[in-house]
Amino acid sequence: MAMDVEAARRVPPKQVIVRVRRYDPEAKRMWWQEYKIEAHRGMTVLDALLKIKEEQDHTLVLRYSCRQGICGSCGMTINGTPRLACQTQLTEVVSEANPVMTVEPLYNFPVIRDLMTDFMDFFNKHRSVKPYLIRKDKEEQESPKGQYDMYPDEYLQTYQYTNCIYCGLCYAACPVVAADPQFLGPQALMYALRFVNDVRDEGWGERFLIVDTEHGCHRCHFAASCSAVCPKAVDPAGAIQALRSKLFRYRLGLYKRRVSKVVGPPPEKGERIQLPPEATLLPGVDLKKLEEEPVVIKLPEE
Amino acid sequence: MTLAEGRRDPEELPNRPGFWRSSLNPWTVRTRDNPERVAFVLHRVTGFIILAFLLAHIIETDSPVWSQYFPYSGLSGWALWNHIMAIESGLAFRIGEFIVAGAVLFHAPNGVRLLLAEFFGVGVGRPGDPRPPYVPGTFRAAQRQWLYAVFVVWIVLWLIAGVIIFS
Repeated sequence: MAMDVEAARRVPPKQVIVRVRRYDPEAKRMWWQEYKIEAHRGMTVLDALLKIKEEQDHTLVLRYSCRQGICGSCGMTINGTPRLACQTQLTEVVSEANPVMTVEPLYNFPVIRDLMTDFMDFFNKHRSVKPYLIRKDKEEQESPKGQYDMYPDEYLQTYQYTNCIYCGLCYAACPVVAADPQFLGPQALMYALRFVNDVRDEGWGERFLIVDTEHGCHRCHFAASCSAVCPKAVDPAGAIQALRSKLFRYRLGLYKRRVSKVVGPPPEKGERIQLPPEATLLPGVDLKKLEEEPVVIKLPEE
Repeated sequence: MTLAEGRRDPEELPNRPGFWRSSLNPWTVRTRDNPERVAFVLHRVTGFIILAFLLAHIIETDSPVWSQYFPYSGLSGWALWNHIMAIESGLAFRIGEFIVAGAVLFHAPNGVRLLLAEFFGVGVGRPGDPRPPYVPGTFRAAQRQWLYAVFVVWIVLWLIAGVIIFS
């Protein structure tokens, strides 16, 4: 879910009612608590919650860190939608007609206290798909003698997936994780594809074995809510379908792809390596044409 | 093949969502620009309707045989068959037939879309460089158009089926 830039220009209602679903682990009690806050223009949901914590109720527990949509800590369910609190403007979720906003912990995660959830299972699932480069030559992997070659179009096969910030919104929105808690989930499966697509990696056989289970990629039913709520447009739904089609071809013995080779030692400090033009240009870019025609870059209107 | 070791059993986790909350997840989570979720819910619901119809259909078409061993309302064999046929010509069963027709007419074309996307990775787009306004590739790819086509085909064919059933 892309950040709504226009929302920051609008003015929220003066008084916003925040309904927070709270949980006390000692008493094992869940209750809804209502706070009234004075809102201002540009205020995010995280700002509102911190204002409550500072001025009204310091016992409210939430997790946050960077306040700019990079760390992925402040994921919570806002008005029924899993979102990053720091990237959600109040104007997106409340209006003059309906100044009430509900904030809940992320669905599908066990709650530790109030809005803070336990990511242990989420990260263990991520770990289970071996999210690191695997080479058949173990000696070369442990003490590499050079760098691996990788072309720009091959890099684009993985780049989108590396934008994942582990915020868990995809996992919270997934109806299959809700029904089957052992399902690996959109994030882990997406990360399996990130390394299956990586030409520097040779471990696709191991990863296909891990995801080819009843709780693996076959469990996904393509509700695509993971992609709809992802704040970084990582698109786990498309990744899982691509992973499944690759697994299908692998099982038929038809899966093949290039594996990159070691291309000499890394450059010395200050040394520049001359690369062939095809290694620095994206497919479809013509240098001669670019020299003749000026490049006009259209920026989105602010 | 089991999952990698070190994973905690989710059943042991405290305060994990219970059965009812999990069952309600497809309805309670709100997502924008996500007709695939509507299709997911409809695919499940229509699947259950088709399954229920098939079970009832098997029991109904086999009634001349099983009623010889277990007579129903004192009727057996073709007498029971004629009795069932008389009940099924009523309005309630026509409405049921209309619902089953709707279920099949959604489930089949959407199943084709899912087969293409899930097994062959067709129509889900390719990974690229995400740029503003950060719309996921899957939502810009062909499967979205197929999904809209499925909805249109479904409604049109369902209306035609309604005309045939009720006329």
